[in-house]
Amino acid sequence: MADAAPLPPTNGDMSGAVGAWNWDIASRLLVADARFASLYGLDPAAAAAGLPASAFFEPVLEQDRLRLRIAVAGALRGAEVFARDYRVLLDGEVRWVSARGRTYFDETDTPTRFAGRLTDVTEQKRLEERLRIAQTAGGVGSFEYLSGYGTADVSDEFCRLLGLHTAKSLPVRTINSVVHPDDPPIIQGRDGSGALGTAFHEFRIHRADTGEERWLASRGEYRPADRGGVSFIGVIYDITASKRSEAALRLLTETLEERVEARTQERDRIWNLSGDLLNIIEPDGTQRAVNPAWKRVLGHDEAELVGRSMECLIHADDLPLARTRLEALARGEPVAAFDTRLRAKDGSHRWINWTGMSDGETIYGIGRDVTQRKLLEEQLRHSQKMEAVGQLTGGLAHDFNNMLTGVMGGIDMARMLLAQGRLEDVDRLLEASMQSGQRAAALTHRLLAFSRRQALDNQPLDVGTLIGSMQDLLRRTLGEQVELHIDTPFELWTTLADESQLESAILNLAINARDAMPDGGRLTIAARNASLSEADLAGSDQAQPGEFVEILVTDTGLGMPPEVLAKAFDPFYTTKPVGQGTGLGLSMIYGFVQQSRGHVAIESQEGRGTKIRLYLPRHDGGSEGEATPEMPTAITGSGEIVLVVEDDPAVLRLMLDALRELGYRTIETASGKEAVPILQSRRHLDLLISDVGLPGLNGRQIAEIARQIRPDMPVLLMTAYTRDAGDEAGFLAPGIEVMQKPFSIDQLGRRVTRILRSPHGNSSAGVG
Amino acid sequence: MTSLIVPLDDLERDALTELVNIGVSRAAVSLRKMAGEQVLLSVPAVEVVTRRGATTLIRERESGALIAVRQDFAGVFSGRALLIFPESNSMALVRSVTAGSLSAEDAAELEDEALAETGNVVLNSCLATMANMLQKPLTMSLPEVVRGDGSALFDLTLSNSEDAVVLFLYINFAINDREIRGYIAMLMDLPSIEALRGLIAEFIARVIGDAM
Repeated sequence: MADAAPLPPTNGDMSGAVGAWNWDIASRLLVADARFASLYGLDPAAAAAGLPASAFFEPVLEQDRLRLRIAVAGALRGAEVFARDYRVLLDGEVRWVSARGRTYFDETDTPTRFAGRLTDVTEQKRLEERLRIAQTAGGVGSFEYLSGYGTADVSDEFCRLLGLHTAKSLPVRTINSVVHPDDPPIIQGRDGSGALGTAFHEFRIHRADTGEERWLASRGEYRPADRGGVSFIGVIYDITASKRSEAALRLLTETLEERVEARTQERDRIWNLSGDLLNIIEPDGTQRAVNPAWKRVLGHDEAELVGRSMECLIHADDLPLARTRLEALARGEPVAAFDTRLRAKDGSHRWINWTGMSDGETIYGIGRDVTQRKLLEEQLRHSQKMEAVGQLTGGLAHDFNNMLTGVMGGIDMARMLLAQGRLEDVDRLLEASMQSGQRAAALTHRLLAFSRRQALDNQPLDVGTLIGSMQDLLRRTLGEQVELHIDTPFELWTTLADESQLESAILNLAINARDAMPDGGRLTIAARNASLSEADLAGSDQAQPGEFVEILVTDTGLGMPPEVLAKAFDPFYTTKPVGQGTGLGLSMIYGFVQQSRGHVAIESQEGRGTKIRLYLPRHDGGSEGEATPEMPTAITGSGEIVLVVEDDPAVLRLMLDALRELGYRTIETASGKEAVPILQSRRHLDLLISDVGLPGLNGRQIAEIARQIRPDMPVLLMTAYTRDAGDEAGFLAPGIEVMQKPFSIDQLGRRVTRILRSPHGNSSAGVG
Repeated sequence: MTSLIVPLDDLERDALTELVNIGVSRAAVSLRKMAGEQVLLSVPAVEVVTRRGATTLIRERESGALIAVRQDFAGVFSGRALLIFPESNSMALVRSVTAGSLSAEDAAELEDEALAETGNVVLNSCLATMANMLQKPLTMSLPEVVRGDGSALFDLTLSNSEDAVVLFLYINFAINDREIRGYIAMLMDLPSIEALRGLIAEFIARVIGDAM
């Protein structure tokens, strides 16, 4: 072993400086060079000359001094190799030094001196400390491996990460043995044949100490080593937390997919199982998807519906409504539920109640089959109607019985007086009977008016004149407690209506008003010209926008609560006790006005009176009242032959008697079957009078046959009602007239006489 | 259960390390004389571990087969000492120690003997140094060469395993610029450790008291 070599003098910069010392054990003298002296803060000259050995410990930091003394004690007692790193305090600055020394022996193996070199390693220590802190704080373990070797240099943190005892170097086999058998080893490319460059991989380990499984990542670099081979330098760090959150996230994602899948399945199930029709529609009505309920409810296959417009299934009557709603939906407007009929596969129709919702370009529809409900509603309506009919029949029977009592009683009394020869009172009794009969006729007339099946005698009419003529009647009817005001301007338009019906309507309204003013009040009947727009006529089914004559009937009575007002025009609705009214008043007026192509409006508030407006269309032709032909004064025939077809024996008997009484000859038949051969025969006939409602051929058909066989022979049809009085004009071919039952003998006589004396009424010579 | 136990503090471990260092240095002097070559021995660190800990340590650090020289000792402290090498290193050690005076065949034949002798020198020096310090007699058995892995080496030893503590020392052989690593393991029961601790304390006291 050579002694410490002389060293160059210090240059003042301590970093990396190397000083030398020699400690003579026997003399306890320490000799050091200038570098050592400068590292230790000694006087260089004194150090070179020799100092007490205790100088070796003087600048050493307190915490390190004892351990250094123990190490030096070892060396002085024969421990050959000395290696210590410790801190010295120099001018208030702590510096790390590394002392490497040897103990030298004499021939008797007695230690003689202790010498070595001192290096300033402050920078190195600082770097090492930083690296250590970085590794510990960052949980990063470093390693260095040279290909071909069995061991790798490792850091403490490296060992800790793997759960191994800390060591400066570890066998590669030890390092790799902690790695999960399925994962790549930490140290790879031991033969140096692997690719150069950076490397990254992740792996699981079972910690050597606890067996716990952890995820680690290795990042490093393979590069050619200075002495040949390949060095692999890198770091490992724990990624268990991120792996776990990754796994948790993956699990979450997977379960999310499962959850979404489950929800989708649930919705699919609803789509498939729903008893309601579900569909997805384009804004133009094209169906994009339909659910299986369409097959179950309507019988249509999905393939028959998808791609086609919904409209082809909708009942023609419901199409306008459906289109309106679909357009509103396409505009994104909310749409309330609505009903349409859809055609089923078997051609029948089902009522579907639709709820729609739009979402951008897509409309979602839900349709519920309400056919059953509609059926029940219809049945309910019908039963309500039947109930109402029952109420009506009760009222009618009551009225008719009273009237029949008057008729029958009068006739009975007349018969008795005739038998007793008391002729002077007969006429009075018969007159009373006749009045009862006329009241019954008026009642049936009103019934027909309500049913809008009366034959209206529409004539140009001056409403003002009519109201004026009714003043006396109205005042008598209203009594003294009600004050009547009439307000009709002079320049009122002419209207077209049945005078007696209008009269009856006004009277009815006046009576209602009177009844609504039990303590008296004021009734105003006014008329004026009015123009009505389509909006004004909302709810009317007959009136057309245009010019009308308005009749206002206003009272100061009790008025009506809203629920009564809503039903005021309903047939048979009455606020009067059973038996006192048929409830036909307002509904009859309503029927009459509608049939006259007019309009009715009602305003009322409880306690504030009622205002009813009747609108009758303006007549352009001017008043033609004077154009009505004069009734012939003579109503007797002169043997003309009349063929009578009437299936009611009583009416037939009456007809025959009356005609004969008037001077006509008659041929009687009870049906068309009997009448037609007579019409076809050569018998002379001047007039055919036929009832309309007959079994087999009806009166109209008989009339047509008659017109064909005997075109010039006039026909008079008698009817209890016309099926559609609005079409009366179409019903009446030239030469055919209609007479409304019931009628008086006098009316019959006048009509027959007029027909036979008119230009068409020339006698027919029969077929030939 | 932790494999590392700490019955000695830092200062005590430093002192023990120096004591063993003094011992192995004596051994190195002897080996130099035997081999006529430069031989340096040093013990850089010592750990005090349980037997299981020692097994783990040796397994982690040495993945190959091991060869050991074993000697029992008795006196003020008793136990068993082991000088352990990786088997792959043993021939190099033998050759170095015999300084190439033997043929390869002879060396192979003499391996165990040479190893036993080397081990005897090293272990004896260590233990004798300590005994001398205590000025107490210590008797030692003849060296024995054993082979096997860590657990085999330690399991073969004392029966009173419950109390057994292992002083686990790293030893570096520097022979003709060759570095050979090895381990010295001293298995002792707790009373022996306590006796050893007394020795250490005395050494420390002497160092502190030393004026120097």
